[in-house]
Amino acid sequence: MSTSTDYHSHLKWQRFWLHALVIVLVLLVMFPFVWLLIMSFKTIDDIFAWPPKWLFVPTLENYTGLWEGDFPKSFANSLIVSVGSTAIAILLGVPGAYALSRMDMGKSNQLSILILASRMAPPIAFTIPYFLAYRYIGLLDSRLGLIIIYLTFNLSLVVWLMRSFFDATPRALEEAAWIDGASLWQSFVKIILPLSGPGLAATAILCFLYSWNDFFFALILTRTEATTAPVAIVNFMNYEGWAWGKIAAGGAMVMLPVLVFSFLVRRFLIQGMTAGAIKG
Amino acid sequence: MDLDRQNRSSGARATLGAARLHRRQLLQSALAGSAALAVGLRAPAVLGQAKQFAGVTLQGASFASTFFGYLENYIPEFEEATGMKVNFETNAFPVFNQRTDLELSTQGSALDVINVTFIYSGRWIGAGWVENLKPYLEDPNLTPDDWDPQDFVGGTMASLSDANGDPYGFPWEAGAMIMAAARADLLEQKGLGLPTTFDELMNVCDQTKGMERVAPFTADKLHHWNWIPYLMGFGGTVFKDPPANLTPTWDTPQAAEAADFYGRLLSEYGPPGVLSFTDDQAMQSQKTGRANMRTQAITWMVPLAKDPDSRVKDTVRYGLVPSGPSGAFPGSNSHGFGIPVGSKNKEAAWEFIKWAVGKQTTLRMLEQHGYPSICRRSIIDTELFKETLTLNGQDVASLYLEVLELGGKGGYMKYRTVPQFPQVGDKLNKAIEKVATGQATGLEAMAEAQAEAVADLKKSGVQIDAG
Repeated sequence: MSTSTDYHSHLKWQRFWLHALVIVLVLLVMFPFVWLLIMSFKTIDDIFAWPPKWLFVPTLENYTGLWEGDFPKSFANSLIVSVGSTAIAILLGVPGAYALSRMDMGKSNQLSILILASRMAPPIAFTIPYFLAYRYIGLLDSRLGLIIIYLTFNLSLVVWLMRSFFDATPRALEEAAWIDGASLWQSFVKIILPLSGPGLAATAILCFLYSWNDFFFALILTRTEATTAPVAIVNFMNYEGWAWGKIAAGGAMVMLPVLVFSFLVRRFLIQGMTAGAIKG
Repeated sequence: MDLDRQNRSSGARATLGAARLHRRQLLQSALAGSAALAVGLRAPAVLGQAKQFAGVTLQGASFASTFFGYLENYIPEFEEATGMKVNFETNAFPVFNQRTDLELSTQGSALDVINVTFIYSGRWIGAGWVENLKPYLEDPNLTPDDWDPQDFVGGTMASLSDANGDPYGFPWEAGAMIMAAARADLLEQKGLGLPTTFDELMNVCDQTKGMERVAPFTADKLHHWNWIPYLMGFGGTVFKDPPANLTPTWDTPQAAEAADFYGRLLSEYGPPGVLSFTDDQAMQSQKTGRANMRTQAITWMVPLAKDPDSRVKDTVRYGLVPSGPSGAFPGSNSHGFGIPVGSKNKEAAWEFIKWAVGKQTTLRMLEQHGYPSICRRSIIDTELFKETLTLNGQDVASLYLEVLELGGKGGYMKYRTVPQFPQVGDKLNKAIEKVATGQATGLEAMAEAQAEAVADLKKSGVQIDAG
């Protein structure tokens, strides 16, 4: 009895310390984001107050200032470009991944490696060729140009991630559907895709994040019309001073769609990320 | 149908009439021109061309600055006068430099007029990416006599000219490094004046440390700009003989002494977090009265006295950068308009430059906006400029001019305009951080920085002296 009580007490403490550790880790991870969010509601005086002010009168001036300038246009550009490149990458990549997963050609592995080639070099290696080509064909400073660039990177990601999901899906399910008279396309759309929901969600969010967070290509390949939100935020770093409040508000705005999107698909995301983790 | 023919016929008559009128005007102009030439007069630059650039769209770019905020109000008048349309985009400093560097290096024609950034001027001019403006100045049809290029203060033209003195840009902004003590009242309480030498600076820091929780000294983390006056003050140099000989000279006793001195200023007398301060944070530390002295360009010092939200408006005092055993070497820089060689509208770009940094526009900037970074001596010498730069009752205009002239005469700022400087400057930042955090002595940190810089310079093909 005494041993059992000791054991339970030990377990209780172990759980307590584990929870405490998790809370500390979460606080550590969240601290920069929370700091940024708090900063976005402060006046410039409060931002630079020393010691830092935890109690202050919040202001929306940074957000209103943000929306009175060019930021809304850049934010819309980011949304259009990220959603556009993600949607096209999924539309093109998912059938491609399915084909690679199911085809019996001995060369499918080599093909997959070739598809991954676009991610094998650092983005900076492609900068000058892309810049020159875009200038020549008139795609500089256009949303279409950015969508195409992100597509080249996202497509390989979709193919590789989705192929592993399709590989893990038993072929017997499709074969059963075929026996029941389904076509190849029907078995793909009605059987395989619904089963790959978590994988699709995880892949889509990764593609979206890549496009949404990109700074480098947006910096090089845009000017004024297609500038995205990350580049627009850097534009608050003026020569004579940085607009810290607007930078913080812009940062918070940039985080928002990712948080909302992740929250909406969090169930699929966790399933997608952990799929295959215990596969033997 | 008849009506149509009549219209065409009257139109033709009108055209013929206009043609006769045009010929008549042309003959009159030719006669007037010949007469003018005969008496040794020069034909005006825009004779008979009221809308010379009608239909031209000029693409301009620069980093964002208050100057362009003011200038954009005047651009419609310029467009009206010349007929051209001006699209001038401004971006953050790093964004503009990155994009323009790529545009220029690929000989693009997307931009017609650009800011020639100080730290990139050596690279852009040296590589032949920016147009030599001497032929434009020498052509009387393009530049009237009274535009007066000699009016620009020598120091402001140093980074915008090549070794032969040919101009590749004309400045719209000049930076002159001065010293500001945000809480000079603390110095006065101790019976001290603004320090004029390095020894005095250290003494003032020592005596005012801990007073009212104000840090005696502050700086931003761009040490390769802030620290150089201290390096030179102790007798050191950045390169052996820039731009001809770019051998770094940092493993010297002078450089080590300067690094130790500056490292001590930051570590013992700086506010918490000073090593991570950006320009703006350092300025804020002064404006809020958290830190006292700083040596930096005037752009960052004027707001201490002029910003409505500055808490040190009544206590700030200005002075020259203190001198070391070898003298005073305050930093100076300038940014100017230039024309990319790939531009397809070079004459229109020159027309824009002449207008934007012309005497009239410059004076207007001063009169209407109190713009302080004036580069034309004729404007700097006006009472209005002196009034504008009289800060908390102190004549800062004369400090400004003194520093700009010093930078032009001594040639000690040449180190900063060589294309390789941004690359090796980071080694200096790292070295000063190591000294300030106690990770290395000045001697160790500078020797390490020297070795790294030499390796980098060699990799980029620069000839380095042996030993």
